[in-house]
Order: sequence, then structure tokens, then C-alpha cells
Amino acid sequence: MNTNHAELCKKLAAADFALWDLHLYLDTHPGDLNAVGVCNKLQKNAAMLRAEYEAACGKLTAADAHGVEWLCDPWPWEKGGCDC
Amino acid sequence: MFVYEKKLQYPVNIKTPNAKLAAVIVSQLGGPDGELGASMRYLNQRYAMPWGELKGLLTDIGTEELSHIEMVGTLLYQLTKNLTVDEIKRQGFDKYFVDHTTGVYPIAASGMPWTAATIQSTGDTLADLYENLAAEQKARKTYDNILRLSDDPDVSDAIKFLRAREVVHFQRFGEGLRFATDKLDSKNFYACNPGFDKNCGC
Repeated sequence: MNTNHAELCKKLAAADFALWDLHLYLDTHPGDLNAVGVCNKLQKNAAMLRAEYEAACGKLTAADAHGVEWLCDPWPWEKGGCDC
Repeated sequence: MFVYEKKLQYPVNIKTPNAKLAAVIVSQLGGPDGELGASMRYLNQRYAMPWGELKGLLTDIGTEELSHIEMVGTLLYQLTKNLTVDEIKRQGFDKYFVDHTTGVYPIAASGMPWTAATIQSTGDTLADLYENLAAEQKARKTYDNILRLSDDPDVSDAIKFLRAREVVHFQRFGEGLRFATDKLDSKNFYACNPGFDKNCGC
């Protein structure tokens, strides 16, 4: 795995995780408007990192990549740098 | 519907194959308290849930469990990659190997294949939520036992993430249970089932 891929991957996972964990909190605290505000900020940060990751390592969903662009290695369970 | 994202929820990078560890970690894929059961339990229970807060909670946690299935599958794949037949024999992986080679198959460490008999979907809001609280603790217990057996820091790192998620999900299900009982008759939570009876709860 080249450093760039590993680094971008880690950053995106961290940003998506922060957003997701707060999203779950809001399932049981939907009235916490402060947390909704934080969620919106985290969402912008995650979207930015996602764009950066996808530009370097290929699209993350099948709706955005087709054929060889979607099929390129590595898949998430494999090791190796992104050569998409 | 579901949309796949071509990434793990948390990175898994195993440097040293270890079939002995794989043979116990497989329980968190197909064992009685594993991630496949967790996901199937919540994603099937959600239809009977009467309130948006609970429909959302079960959909979201059930979906996160799908990504945990993928993390455990990745651990198994990387732990068994490039093993020699001699290592497979020495590390006691031969009984799994004979049927599955190094393919990923949902089975308990005991050899029992995954079964829906280890989960419930009762159609009863409180019974399901109590089942889920127990399920999260039972999964946390298995991760604690895997950490007791693991001598590989890369394996333990991913397992610690999964363990922490059980604790968070337990907390959220507790809040979901509190939400449900707040909606019911405070003198008798069990007077009726809001997932089935009409005019039960507000």
C-alpha cells in the first residue's frame, strides 16, 4: 500500500466514522440541535476528504464508476496501493 | 436498498498470517454472537418497530453490522493468505481447510455453521430491544476473549475497534428502550405490544 493511499484512506475512515457515530447518537436524541449542527459540519469535512480520496484512488460506489474503473484493485479486504 | 462503498469502516492490515487466530476469529463472522447474526437480527426486527426513532436505530445499527461482517471477513482473509499446507496442519486449521480451503465461511469456532436459530425477531418491541441489549454484551464478550487469545497487535487493533462499537450500540439500544417505555403506560410497560396491538402507546 503506498503511503498516499493509506493516509487518505485513514483520514476518510476517521471523518466518516465521526459523522456516523454522531448520526447514531441523533437516532435517540433527535432534538439535540447542537449535535445536528456538528453533524452538518462533519458532513462537509467528510465530503471534502471523500472527493480527495476518490480523485487519487478511484470512486467508492458502483453508481460512480463502471467497468475497469470499478473493477480495479485493491478491494477493501486486499492490501496494496491504489493504482486506479 | 443498500449501496456498497468500496472501503472498510476501519483499516485492517495484518502483516503475519496466523491460522490459529483465524480459527477463533471466525466465530465473530458465523458464531452465535457474531456480526452476521447481529445484522440479520436488527435488519429483520426493524419492520415491526412502531416509531421512527426505533426504525432508524435498527436500520442504522443493522447496516453498520454489515460493515463489521466485512471487517471480520478481511481479518480472516489476511490471516490465512499465503499459508503453506505445513503451517495449516501445524496451526490446527486442517479441519476448516478440508471443507473451505482458505475461503471465508460463516461458521462458529466450534464448527457449527451460522444459523438463524441463534437470533430472534419477536415482533414485540420490548422483547426485541432486550434481546439486542443482550446481543451487544455477548458480542463484546467474544471480542474480549479474542483479545485474551490474540498476540498480534494488528489483529488486536481492529478487534478493539469492533469491541468498542458493541459498547456504543448497547448504549444506543438502552436509549431506544427508554424511549419505547416512555411511550407506554408507565404503570405497566407490558400492557400491550406497540408493535402489534392497536392504540398501544402514543
